Amino acid sequence: MELNDKLEILADAAKYDASCASSGAPKRGSEGKDGLGATTGMGICHSYTPDGRCVSLLKILLTNFCIYDCQYCINRRTSNVPRARFAVDEVVKLTQDFYLRNYIDGLFLSSGIIQSADYTMEQLVAVARQLREVHQFRGYIHLKTIPDADPLLIQEAGRWADRLSVNIELPTHDSVTRLAPEKSVHTIKLAMGSIRRKLDEKAEEPKAPNFAPAGQSTQMIVGADASDDHTILNTAETLYGSYKLKRVYYSAFSPIPQSPGSVPLAPPPLLREHRLYQADFLLRGYGFTAGELMPQTGNLALDVDPKLAWALANREHFPMDLNRVDASLIPRIPGIGLRNAKRLVELRRLRRIRWEDLSRLRCSLKKLAPFVVTADYKPAQGATSSDLLRKHMADAPQQMNLWPELQAA
Amino acid sequence: MKPGASPAELAAGAVAAVRAGRPLLVRDFTEWRAVARELLGARVAPASVTWGAPGEDLFSGAPASIAAAHNGGDLLSAATQADEQEPINGTTPRPHIPRSLMEMLQTAACYRDHDRWAFLYRVIWRWQQGEHDVQSPADADGQRLNSMVKAVRREVHDMHAYIRFRERPIEAGAPHFVAWFEPAHDVLPQVAEHFVARMGKVSWMIATPDASVLWDGATLHQTGPLMSSAADLIDAGEALWLTYYRSIFNPARLNTQVMNSHIPSRFWKNLPEGALVPSLVSQAGLGARRIGQVEAVGRRSGRTIPIEAEQAQPERQQPSKLDECRRCDLWEHATQAVGGEGPKSAKIMIVGEQPGDQEDLAGQPFVGPAGKLLDRVFEQAGVDRKGVYITNAVKHFKWEPRGKRRLHKTPAQKEIEACHYWLEKEIATRKPKVIVAMGATALKSVLQTGSVTLKDKLGHPVRHGDSWVVTIYHPSYVLRVPDESAKHEAFSVMVKGLKLAQELLDRLDVPEPPSAS
Repeated sequence: MELNDKLEILADAAKYDASCASSGAPKRGSEGKDGLGATTGMGICHSYTPDGRCVSLLKILLTNFCIYDCQYCINRRTSNVPRARFAVDEVVKLTQDFYLRNYIDGLFLSSGIIQSADYTMEQLVAVARQLREVHQFRGYIHLKTIPDADPLLIQEAGRWADRLSVNIELPTHDSVTRLAPEKSVHTIKLAMGSIRRKLDEKAEEPKAPNFAPAGQSTQMIVGADASDDHTILNTAETLYGSYKLKRVYYSAFSPIPQSPGSVPLAPPPLLREHRLYQADFLLRGYGFTAGELMPQTGNLALDVDPKLAWALANREHFPMDLNRVDASLIPRIPGIGLRNAKRLVELRRLRRIRWEDLSRLRCSLKKLAPFVVTADYKPAQGATSSDLLRKHMADAPQQMNLWPELQAA
Repeated sequence: MKPGASPAELAAGAVAAVRAGRPLLVRDFTEWRAVARELLGARVAPASVTWGAPGEDLFSGAPASIAAAHNGGDLLSAATQADEQEPINGTTPRPHIPRSLMEMLQTAACYRDHDRWAFLYRVIWRWQQGEHDVQSPADADGQRLNSMVKAVRREVHDMHAYIRFRERPIEAGAPHFVAWFEPAHDVLPQVAEHFVARMGKVSWMIATPDASVLWDGATLHQTGPLMSSAADLIDAGEALWLTYYRSIFNPARLNTQVMNSHIPSRFWKNLPEGALVPSLVSQAGLGARRIGQVEAVGRRSGRTIPIEAEQAQPERQQPSKLDECRRCDLWEHATQAVGGEGPKSAKIMIVGEQPGDQEDLAGQPFVGPAGKLLDRVFEQAGVDRKGVYITNAVKHFKWEPRGKRRLHKTPAQKEIEACHYWLEKEIATRKPKVIVAMGATALKSVLQTGSVTLKDKLGHPVRHGDSWVVTIYHPSYVLRVPDESAKHEAFSVMVKGLKLAQELLDRLDVPEPPSAS
């Protein structure tokens, strides 16, 4: 099979993977050196496809042959899809060629499981090893880890890769047992645990050999099972706490051709995925807990973002006086992000914060108006009920589309 | 002002030029900085200065470009040399400009705007007057400064991202890769450094309408414009890229709004994949969106993998019975159950509370900080840790999130009760002569009573069934005690307790009952 045909099949098979970040690697450069590649710590998105996702890495599968039968996956063994397999050399060459042309920041390599978990993992490691050792490639490498593989192989993977990931796949044990019968949450967690232990060891012993300097991440499929956002966020929180993950990626389930009856026919609204990312960001960056964002079972609100929803449900904390309130609470105000919160703290050391400052900082005034007090502004206390505010601030409702198939975008 | 004057010369004549009403002509940040410093020193207010740029000089017919003004000179090296040679003038007071503001000014100087030098001088003047909020985006000038900085940084970022190199045939010689880009601001020098680090010894060139940079594998050369449009090269790598771009797009998730918000339209015409976008979008709208797979792959004949389900199941270590325990809810947020560890013949059993963060990952009891402390207790008491059996009252780690860490949480009575099933099994099969209960949780579980307190039993061994029960502190308690002397005291209580356990064992000295194996 021609390289072009393989690329077509194995990129197509990888497009369901959500993660494509290339950030977090230590700084490296190739000036005056043999080989190729640099990392700056900040990933670069080199392109965007019409699905709105960025292209930062060459994201492909080594092969889409797979002996597992995960119901949500297009490459499951009972799926009738064209199959292909890259040779190790082909992936290495393709990565370098794309890198030289500035299409990508590196490689994100995953694979269907062939022969055995160990055999598959060995192949993935071989690609990374060849890139690093033979070709002195200093770009970003992310390897998907096969949870059942020998821990020694995972260790070697961490030596070459900037990031490792083990997919939790679904938010609950029951769903994994039902929809991914050959996978087991037990082994997935053990693999994540073993990666975290290696990361901890490396942190204690800086001179030890490299181990996944950009940490580990995972992916959860949303909407293939009945789990609600409450469950999903709690699972994410458990994973962050237990395995020091850099990211949890949420991938809205894409219905696949001839999908089995065990998974739904329709995708969840993409907005739900978006809200989960927003909530996840609040967990990681803003110090919210899953319990605060989702005190009860159910899904995140679609009409307002999670921070606004939290503020509306917790009016007793508001309005906050920007000139007095504890600095750590400012980012909790709707319409004020982490960066502007920092700027406000800096500014209030110089002088009192006024309403106009918020406008110049391009804070979302409509959102924050009921929640802040400044030197020259005070909202009418308790004048507006949360319900009314919510109606006022919610995203505009959209007319339902009766024939989505007929509507060209 | 004559072209080719050094920044120092420019600066020296600046005050006189302003007094004579002549415009100040500066070509780059280094020159501006030298002049601005001189003017600040002489307290020349912004309103009395007229700034011009070479491109806007009405009387010169030169094209409106920085590179042209330099007559093809070496921009980068001129800039760095000027930096090094800057004279320190003892008579003019040095303005105190913080590094962060200087960096902002330098970045903003790349912003193509007719009055950039005048604006930057106003900013630095205001700072000097003590108006330090001029740096904040909440100030009117500060807002403009920040948005200039942001636009320039964005342009640098976009240029890093959206430059596309095409490969030239080997026989054409160096440079092997050429790129064409139309930047909105003067960011080429910064961008060139990025690609020097990225490309190693490979030769390349980036051409823009105003200037070009060329890397020969060892040195960077800056020149005037060399090309007027993108190179027309047939590059096999580009064909593969287009295939990749088509295939990685998931039509089921069509969301052009996000795509367009990230790549402004002016970039698309120079991106090879730009030409694919309209057809991908319309295909997605016409059904590919529904089946979630592009035609190209969907058309090919498929293949299911003939393999039995049993074969697909990898030979993995099956979870032990304990791992499958669902007697309470703690399993859900733990990695694994942590059972006991120690020789079958052990006569002392040590019972802790529950596994911690490290134990949960390792699957072994007492490997974390508490375990390390316990090792020291063993050493002081003269007891061999390898000879005793160590386990916990509760087998799954109970915790709550605190930021990104797991904070130990004391197990509830019902969890202790649920887990007692496993402890009882361990006691029944090991038949220890002495059980050392560490902490209240362990004591309650071993004695099967919720009313007992640690204080009552410390130093007072009790009979329980066929064993003696010795109570000591939990090592985590010793770690937690803030007061150094109390810590020492608690530690010695642990050592004493363990010694007592060993003495009891020696004193018992009764032959094994024949039934025990």
